[in-house]
Amino acid sequence: MQTAVANANEIHGHDTHHGADHAHHELSFIRKYIFSTDHKVIAKQFMAVSLFFLFVGGLFALMIRWQIAYPGSAIPLIGNILPNSWVSDGAVTANFYTQLLTLHGTVMIFYVIIPLAVGMFGNFCIPLMIGTDDMALPRLNMFSFWLVPPAGLIMLSGFFYDSGTAAAGWTGYPPLGPTSGPGQTTWLVSLFMIGFSSIMGGTNYMATVLNKRAKGLQLLQMPLTVWALFITAILITLGTPVLAAAIAMQICDQYLHTGFFMPDNLLVTAPDNTYVTNAFIAQGNQLLEHKQLLGGGGQPILWQHMFWFYSHPAVYIMILPGMGIVSDVLSTFARKPIYGYKAMIFAIMAIAFLGFIVWGHHMFQSGMNPLLGTTFMLSTILIAVPSAIKVFNWLGTIWKGNIRFTAANMNALAFIATFIIGGLSGVFMASAPVDIYIHDTYFIVAHIHYVLFGGALFAIFAGIYYWFPKMYGKMLNENLGRKHFYWSFVFFNLTFYPMHILGVGGHMRRIYNPYIYEFLQPLQPMNQFVTFAAIILGFSQLILVVNILWSLKYGKAAPRNPWQSNSIEWSAPAHPGHGNFDTDIVVYRGPYEYSVPGRESDFYPQTEPPSENEVPVHSGH
Amino acid sequence: MNFDLSKGLEWAYRDMLTFFPENVSTFGAQLDSIFALIYWFSVATFFLTYGLLVIFMVKYRYNEHRKAYYFHGNNLMEFTWTLLPTIFFVGLGLWSDGAWSKTKYASRVPKPDVEIDVLGYQSGFGWQFRYAGPDGVFGNKDREQITIANPFGIDSNDIHGKDDFVIISPGGTRPIPIHLPVNKNILVNLSSNDVLHSFFLPNFRVKQDALPGQWIKVWFNGSKIGTYELACAELCGSGHYNMRGQVFIDSQADYDKWLDEQYKISKPVLEAPVSSDTTIVASADTKDSKTTKN
Repeated sequence: MQTAVANANEIHGHDTHHGADHAHHELSFIRKYIFSTDHKVIAKQFMAVSLFFLFVGGLFALMIRWQIAYPGSAIPLIGNILPNSWVSDGAVTANFYTQLLTLHGTVMIFYVIIPLAVGMFGNFCIPLMIGTDDMALPRLNMFSFWLVPPAGLIMLSGFFYDSGTAAAGWTGYPPLGPTSGPGQTTWLVSLFMIGFSSIMGGTNYMATVLNKRAKGLQLLQMPLTVWALFITAILITLGTPVLAAAIAMQICDQYLHTGFFMPDNLLVTAPDNTYVTNAFIAQGNQLLEHKQLLGGGGQPILWQHMFWFYSHPAVYIMILPGMGIVSDVLSTFARKPIYGYKAMIFAIMAIAFLGFIVWGHHMFQSGMNPLLGTTFMLSTILIAVPSAIKVFNWLGTIWKGNIRFTAANMNALAFIATFIIGGLSGVFMASAPVDIYIHDTYFIVAHIHYVLFGGALFAIFAGIYYWFPKMYGKMLNENLGRKHFYWSFVFFNLTFYPMHILGVGGHMRRIYNPYIYEFLQPLQPMNQFVTFAAIILGFSQLILVVNILWSLKYGKAAPRNPWQSNSIEWSAPAHPGHGNFDTDIVVYRGPYEYSVPGRESDFYPQTEPPSENEVPVHSGH
Repeated sequence: MNFDLSKGLEWAYRDMLTFFPENVSTFGAQLDSIFALIYWFSVATFFLTYGLLVIFMVKYRYNEHRKAYYFHGNNLMEFTWTLLPTIFFVGLGLWSDGAWSKTKYASRVPKPDVEIDVLGYQSGFGWQFRYAGPDGVFGNKDREQITIANPFGIDSNDIHGKDDFVIISPGGTRPIPIHLPVNKNILVNLSSNDVLHSFFLPNFRVKQDALPGQWIKVWFNGSKIGTYELACAELCGSGHYNMRGQVFIDSQADYDKWLDEQYKISKPVLEAPVSSDTTIVASADTKDSKTTKN
């Protein structure tokens, strides 16, 4: 009976205007800050965990870079304190190097960019921007976050095996993957878990957007951030189960001697018979025995199809939320409606749809039937069209605007700048005959970093600078924000642009010591240049950490709407509690009514009732 | 610390296209020209979009006395910048497909003058090559007969296999080179007995993954006598970086001479002693490879 009363109070608290704090004073610390169902707390949790992994992944990257610039020489500072199974005389071993490149890719994609772009912004923005109190399924939301820390620990724990962690690349291609020992298993299990986290998040976002919009908010009045996250959620929900299936199949190949991905009669050097199906077991130069186990008869390319069926859409899972964030930030700070709102939505949908029929472009040289290469080439090249539409619309948005150069907006503009380069370099590898030469070279590395660091991460920075006041009730320091931006932008380009040139020079990816090859020896100075730029780029990110920590303690208290923005989240209190809003939210117009003629202020919040003699504004042209 | 700043500055002004290794294959020029087309298209698009970006950023920077232009967009513009890229990109796709089908379609492989079998191998990291021997005909392959000494599984019952010879080249800085004749169509039958590898000849613009359980046809035609490097472009283990090979492109006379000598030096596989103390040379960095980990 008492519980019922408490629940009634809680529900009452949501609905009345007394503020959320009042209704939730009975929540324990653990329920409020650790196992919280509040979407904003979960967003902060995603942010903290992912920023931690950003530094882990960055450290991996710098160790990789040092080895490429100065093969065999000790890593400065940390080289001599690392365990002997990882380094010899302070320099990374070839085995550890392949583990590093595997974990760098995996961590950055699955534990940094996806949780930041989707986990953090999806959780924070969707309920606030559609004017509701929380996600449709708060407990599922909590569970989706709490799969991430254990998955991350499992991922990192692989390093402590004698044989090391996964070393088959972030793509985990068989037969190398299933034959490479227990580290691969931790890698697979960890990905399986984080995949489930994604699926839970995705279904929740769809349910929330479709069912919980504030009164009066039509689908075509939602900010592009919400649209992008909504489409992303669909991509996640359709794509991730395929990855989960592939992972389960690879685990079966390892332990149950199934043969999904393993052909007959492999001659494999394996640390333990357990991991080999139907193979010759060779050790060093000795042929030990010819094993005929069950299984075999599989096809390594099947994994590539299943992996890329998820992992190509995953690229859009990482970039689409960024595109949405950038659209909103740009429109806010240009004080101008987004150019071509509906075209932007159609472009997002087109990218998402095409994203599902282009995965084969990762496999042009894989031995897949070249006839399929032709099909995949045409569909891939078409993705450039909606991408171009988006770029032109962003340019149209700042055209005749009144642009404020806040740290958020600078990062958003940098997103456009780097996305143009990343998009153009994508055209090279979309053309299958050009891809013959640049496939698996640094040209690809340059491209993916222009899209994921230059694209997704700059958009994430923009989003952090933009929404931090609403998240923590404190303003970030603009000055530090701009410094962080300048250092990041300059050294990002100095790091990754030269990689295109390395790729044109024929420099392969994942090479422990490139200078074994005569044709790569002249490229060493460029590799050294890239490494120094990367080190400075890495350390520049500390400015962001300092800024966040300093601002949390000493930052100015944020006003309710610091950027004079239109969208619904800025109608919530400066630091909203559980339940978000202190007023009834009714939506009257779209989110991009900036600089409306005849109005004194240059913005027009979605929740502001129209004045009596006003013709209702038609949104979404 | 042999960091050379002047070289970095020099490179900053150099056209990206000049970094390509010399092309010595017949179809390479066509692939490079598509690269160049996309490159110049990208340079043009770069200056167009960055020009607009910078002009707008400067011209429309914040001014408190000015109000932004209230404008939601224009469908004609949207239509234009949808249609123009579509036309360009479909054209590019169709043009690319000509070069793609010519180099990769199995049905368009030209009649080979020389045919060799190639395997990438992981235990020690290197390449295995099979030549057909004096009779010019390969012996049948039998997967059941694959051993370390006979990685191709040459069928001992097939008379044509008796004279086949195999060159097992370790990776690293001193690989055992193979020779091929100049201006001839070379057909490589590519596969692997362990994990994925990728047969990458930078100067020939050739790259193809080696897929265990499947033989893939790769062809090229080298137009210049010289020594070229072979690389592996697909991660195949900790010694992946070490899978360097060497290819000599010879005049026909030199090639014939080499072939003759080589046949005499390297005993045909099926006559070799069965003990597995054979040519798989672990000169690669086995210290780090997984083999020592158990």
